[in-house]
Amino acid sequence: MSTCGAVVGGVSLDHVDVVTQSVIQGVISKNGTPAKVGYVRLLDKTDEFVAEVPVSPQGEFRFFAAPGNWNVVALIPGGSARTTVEAHLGKIADLEIAVS
Amino acid sequence: MSNQALVDAEWALAHLDDGKVVFIEVDEDTDAYAGNHIRNAIALNWKTDLQDPVRRDFVNKEQFEALLSAKGVANDDTVVLYGGNNNWFAAYAYWYFKLYGHGDVRVLDGGRKKWELDGRELVSEVPSRAATKYVAKEQDRSIRAFREDVLKAIGTQNLVDVRSPDEYAGRLLAPAHLPQEAARIGGHIPTAANIPWSKAANEDGSFKSLAELKAIYEGAGVDLNKDTIAYCRIGERSAHSWFVLHELLGVKNVSNYDGSWTEYGSLVGVPVAVGDEPGTA
Repeated sequence: MSTCGAVVGGVSLDHVDVVTQSVIQGVISKNGTPAKVGYVRLLDKTDEFVAEVPVSPQGEFRFFAAPGNWNVVALIPGGSARTTVEAHLGKIADLEIAVS
Repeated sequence: MSNQALVDAEWALAHLDDGKVVFIEVDEDTDAYAGNHIRNAIALNWKTDLQDPVRRDFVNKEQFEALLSAKGVANDDTVVLYGGNNNWFAAYAYWYFKLYGHGDVRVLDGGRKKWELDGRELVSEVPSRAATKYVAKEQDRSIRAFREDVLKAIGTQNLVDVRSPDEYAGRLLAPAHLPQEAARIGGHIPTAANIPWSKAANEDGSFKSLAELKAIYEGAGVDLNKDTIAYCRIGERSAHSWFVLHELLGVKNVSNYDGSWTEYGSLVGVPVAVGDEPGTA
């Protein structure tokens, strides 16, 4: 049994059959540098919270969503940013989110 | 928010060096604590410390006593829990401490996330606490629900599914930060209302005001005069909602079904509803 807990940076894709997943992943940065501390929230198209992960020391995050449109919100000390993404089954959606 | 069960960062800062106040970080990701943590905080591991190593169940009374004794927690200590994931694990541990009858236990509002986002100090030094002789009480079954309780509650008492709407409907089998690989079926317990735990939390992980929290449940049509059972996937997020209902709003007769969907969604012969509506008994 896996926990509901969030792994820093998101669960590794090792041993995951990506063909069966709709992966949303990316990097959070500020001033061109990856954010070492921060959290990324996945919201559905109605802005309902779905999941959240702390970023890795390289500012990375990853979600396993369902196909469709999603909102992604990045929170770091002193700032936040928001973007939208469309996830597709069997594909990895890569995002670069800059927090001003 | 003023409540005995909840402390804020200012209260925490004033008590970090109080030997009778034990800050405990609870997270399955032990790397987080090892990397840094609130000064003088110790750690409990959600899985290895609080779960039986063989059976799918909690550690028993004697194991819990041995754990807290070794960690240096005394019966008359004030325990302040905090963790990641918007305090899911802290709320879970809070419920767990209450289950075994600890007297003074509290949650740090916002947990690790708010502490980090506010830029507060985190350290890597691990404190040492002298061992104690902790004595736990028998489990308080009034706050823990089992599958028989859930089956009896269908159509008669409140069932509150605190997972995301997509998990409730059966479109996702697990939170979206985990691979969707579970073998069990999707859906929810018939007649359960879907009130995601996240509605109770602000973006920084802190709890919403009491008025806002009350409005969430009343707005969802839940009659809090009835008994209420909260559940999610494995009982952590529903511990968060249990904390809101039982500890912040003071609603009695609220229990947490820690078997949750991993158990119910794998049972043979029980009713299941799919889609966005609660369904019928």
